[in-house]
Amino acid sequence: MEENEHSIIRAVLSGNKEAYGALVVRHSYAIFRVAFRITGDQADAEDVVQEAFLLGYLKLESFESRAKFSTWIYRIAVNCALNLKNKRKPEAAYQIAEDADITQHQVQVADPVANPERLLLSQEIEAHQARAMQELTAIERTAFVLRHMEGRTTEEIAATLQIAPNAAKQAVFRAVQKLRRCLAPLRMTA
Amino acid sequence: MNHLTEEQLIEHYYAESSQSAGIQRHLRECNGCAETYAELRTDLDAIEPIAAPARAAGHGEQVWQSIRNFVPVHRQKQQGLWQRFSHPQGLSFATACTLLIAVAFFAGRQWENYQRPFQTAASNRARQPIVLVVLGDHLGRSERFLVALRHGNSAESTALVKAEAQDLLSANRLYRESALKSGDPAFAAALDRLERVLVEIANEPQNASQARLAELQKELNTDGLLFEVRVLRSRVQDEQEEQPPAAVRTLGVLI
Repeated sequence: MEENEHSIIRAVLSGNKEAYGALVVRHSYAIFRVAFRITGDQADAEDVVQEAFLLGYLKLESFESRAKFSTWIYRIAVNCALNLKNKRKPEAAYQIAEDADITQHQVQVADPVANPERLLLSQEIEAHQARAMQELTAIERTAFVLRHMEGRTTEEIAATLQIAPNAAKQAVFRAVQKLRRCLAPLRMTA
Repeated sequence: MNHLTEEQLIEHYYAESSQSAGIQRHLRECNGCAETYAELRTDLDAIEPIAAPARAAGHGEQVWQSIRNFVPVHRQKQQGLWQRFSHPQGLSFATACTLLIAVAFFAGRQWENYQRPFQTAASNRARQPIVLVVLGDHLGRSERFLVALRHGNSAESTALVKAEAQDLLSANRLYRESALKSGDPAFAAALDRLERVLVEIANEPQNASQARLAELQKELNTDGLLFEVRVLRSRVQDEQEEQPPAAVRTLGVLI
């Protein structure tokens, strides 16, 4: 698949603009997923997807053939999402809602539990989690999402965010500490 | 070994510690650290990955369609020119080329000075109508969409309005971003208001009732927005007719 992607990129760079569509189709959901996890908003995540692929196309000449396109476009998207979060300071307060209404800053969270009591507890935990995530700074949230939810190593996070590995590690630590503080009341009641 | 710090425990949780074996041993021997680690693990295990909403099957294609008109065709770079000239037999050819370029440059400068006023006007005329026509078309469609939204009174028209909102949404986002980047906040703000309406309508369920749409129109003041879109459209039309050199920037859209 990698070789195939490299041949698509060669085709795009030699003038076949339409070939890029195949790369967009192949990677759009992975990019949307990480963008949504960082921004917490569907419309913002869609903006990030468009911006990332647009920038990716415009910068395609700087793509190095030994790299993987998925990693490269992922880095661009994470930085687009981070920039967008930085622009949106101060953080909007999100509410958990049954039917998400993005203009009211409501988000839906997945909940596979069927039991009513567990459902209630789970909803409470997730609501706390969503609020706690909004307490993090843009860089902390991004580093935590990449580490905890996307399974990226500290080195990868540092490379993606173009910061020193120690700074990436510290961002994850701070995020974990803040999240634990926010979620502590739930631990007491559980 | 001293007690483990929270940072060491977090590193250990994510399997990134360089002293993993030592930490494991310490956790077996020290009850305090083992308890702290168990709490940390419970907390972090409880944080589930945020589930991203599902996208329609054609999502990737939609993304591509929304950007494909804004990307230029890449031109392959000419390479190996230097190697060609570095051969001894190419040297005389290179000298001839240099001479030719110098003559052409000098002649070009003279010709440019003579032609400049005509060329500038001509290139501005060539570029602006394209930008203005695209933007005018978008505003025209948005105006028709808002009118259809106001007068729609059947399930069929609701479905059409919803489809049109989905269609306009991506283009509107790009125009808004572009307007923001080029420093036209008024234009960007109007497009932002339009986007809110488009998002709302595009995300309404297929069987949304007329009453619900009427309520949304009231909430989002779509009548006011329709007026705003008409004003912007007439502004674009005026610019199109006059075509002054600064038209592209004053409209805040760069393509």
